Amino acid sequence: MEAKALAAFLLFAPLGFGQADTQWVLEKSTLTYHVSHPLHQFDGVSHAARGKGVCHEGQCEFLIGVPVKSFDSGDSNRDLHMIQAVRGAQNPMVVVRSRFSESAPVTGNIHVDLEVQFAGQTAQFRQIAFQQTADGKQARITGTIPATLTDFKIDPPSLLTVPIRNEIPIRVEMTWHLQ
Amino acid sequence: MRTIQAPIALACAYLLAAPFSSFAGTAGAGNAVEASLQQATARAILAALSPVVFDAPDDQAPQNSPEQAKPPAAKPPSLPDLGFPPEQTQPNPQEQARLDKRSHMLKVHQRLGLITTAPLIATVLSGSFAGGKSTSSTTRDLHAALGSSTAILYFTTAYFSIFAPKVPGTPTRGSIRLHKALALIHGPGMILTPVLGAMAFQQKSQGEKVHGIASAHGAVGVVTAAAYGLAILSVSVRL
Repeated sequence: MEAKALAAFLLFAPLGFGQADTQWVLEKSTLTYHVSHPLHQFDGVSHAARGKGVCHEGQCEFLIGVPVKSFDSGDSNRDLHMIQAVRGAQNPMVVVRSRFSESAPVTGNIHVDLEVQFAGQTAQFRQIAFQQTADGKQARITGTIPATLTDFKIDPPSLLTVPIRNEIPIRVEMTWHLQ
Repeated sequence: MRTIQAPIALACAYLLAAPFSSFAGTAGAGNAVEASLQQATARAILAALSPVVFDAPDDQAPQNSPEQAKPPAAKPPSLPDLGFPPEQTQPNPQEQARLDKRSHMLKVHQRLGLITTAPLIATVLSGSFAGGKSTSSTTRDLHAALGSSTAILYFTTAYFSIFAPKVPGTPTRGSIRLHKALALIHGPGMILTPVLGAMAFQQKSQGEKVHGIASAHGAVGVVTAAAYGLAILSVSVRL
């Protein structure tokens, strides 16, 4: 009986696999925002992102979520003020969605459209360049999202009455695993 | 013996069929008919060998229609799929209100702290003309008035920091630690300096030379002002 079940699995497995959707899971990540102020500059880093990607009929849809609170700039007071400024308790997650063709190159430059939900706003970023390197079932993606405060209608926080710069580029380093 | 031979035969069939079936799968929807034919063939072989596996009634028998050959439509991933705990993804208006109040109070603290710097510097500068061999009561009065203004502004500034809402579970890290540590110097200094200043003022007004603990007024004032200046720098520039 067990032998028959194994045989059935062996026979049908390739049919199933051939037509199944491919799924990707975010294995590890480093997201870093950069803030510039005339008096100093600092970075906030998060390793807490989680993500999932599904490819189906040549189209891939990826979703990444990261808690706003998980960003660490090395200063608890500044982090709390950041959470307040970006309305992070009311909108606790940064959610990034991307849709692209499965035929995108495995290695090299890829350009993807991103939809980013942050601070209660949704911003679209078109054709953002990422570097992709594939290694077996893993794909490493690096790039920078050219985000600004105005994209998300965030009032610029100020220090000594001088506001920070509008540009808050977000460096993305992600390793995805094919399931 | 037969039960062993059948799976071996099927495994061979699998090895032969796998490349073609995989290719059919990756070729996309255009090969759906081909894929369904392969599935039908496979089912027929298996059904012949194993009636137990395909013991479905006739009305549930495979129809080999293109619809049935298709896998269920893939759902795009959603936030709950990522497995974050609900408390991490749910909005918390109370916490946002607390953060808003905290930020507002600390902004006032920052502004008042900067404003306080002006009378503080003026007090330190005027102090050099109010003590020592100087006998002018005008400079002493000016110094005392500036010192009083500084103290009032200082304690108002401190109020907005001390009573700003705290966020539980947030350990203090970074330059704010130095900022708070320096408050342990300039805080008591801001209490002690006016007290010593009042004593020195009284002694001087009575025509006495400043003596006793009151003679430390100038030194305590300078240390207090220095700690205060460092506290501002600690959160303004990377030290």
